[in-house]
Amino acid sequence: MTPTPLLVERIVAALAGLAALGETVEDEWTYVHDLEAVWTARLRAVAAARPPLPTPPDLEPAINRLVEEAGLIGDPHRAIDWLSTLPQATLVALGETAW
Amino acid sequence: MRFQDAAKDARTVVYAGIQADPLVGHAAGLLADATPAQRVLARAAMNGESVDGGAWKIMFPTLFGVGSAAPGTAERDRSEAILAASLAVADRGEQVRSQFRGAIVEAVTELLLARRVGAAALRRERRILFDGVRAEIHPYDVTVETPGAAEAYDCKWGARGISPDVLHQLDDARRGAEAEGERLLPVLVIFDARRSCEVRLARQTAPRTGTRLVTLETLDRLAGRRAEVAT
Repeated sequence: MTPTPLLVERIVAALAGLAALGETVEDEWTYVHDLEAVWTARLRAVAAARPPLPTPPDLEPAINRLVEEAGLIGDPHRAIDWLSTLPQATLVALGETAW
Repeated sequence: MRFQDAAKDARTVVYAGIQADPLVGHAAGLLADATPAQRVLARAAMNGESVDGGAWKIMFPTLFGVGSAAPGTAERDRSEAILAASLAVADRGEQVRSQFRGAIVEAVTELLLARRVGAAALRRERRILFDGVRAEIHPYDVTVETPGAAEAYDCKWGARGISPDVLHQLDDARRGAEAEGERLLPVLVIFDARRSCEVRLARQTAPRTGTRLVTLETLDRLAGRRAEVAT
């Protein structure tokens, strides 16, 4: 089983990809990177607070599929929306409060 | 202060067709009774690339996986129905799905408000007029037109919809009402997490203190219910 912090880092990497795409939208550079920063911090805080117990078997496939879905986003505007959506979906997958 | 139907221009007529689409009402009905996690599913699937339901079920194991509500239960049926409706929206194409999402947020807002104030007090697409003040061009998505306790709602799919224009219009309405000795509560409903909304608001200088912010976490408060935990 992959530990939760490592799974979360896959999402953090996907967020970076979305940010790179979203920052191409004029006038949204700051918003995009602020979003990336606050959600990355939130996800890492959740991962760090979880006890080192085995993760449910369907968690890693969920994280991997979320990362894959984020990688399919090709439109910069949708990427900005996904910078907010992906962390919420990740937290739901983790069984945490989505915010 | 008085309310007035918005003018029917070409954009309004086209959008009215979307608002009347059965899919909008169906999705809104499901989301009005959804759990926060189911609303996150809708948000993701309506704005994702995949239109394969199986992929989304993998992404949301707490709704469809081993430890989730069993098939055949009301909660599982709602998750399935929300996923199907969300993918139907996503399948409409980029331009149209954007309009559908907005219309769905408005319809959910109306449904939840009706549970608190009653449908008779609610109107859609209304402008608010004040003596001696030029009317705003954009109508409010939903209004509660109860004398002495009016409310004006602007509904957005995501935090990025928060703009200075939106904040100014809502605050102008509040101040206009106040100047006439009336009370009007402006509310911004965002189908997104408060964390993202706060990021958006952090760099805005437009007035916001008199405007109530309702986000995914607090959507049920429109109906007078307490917010739930989103897991």
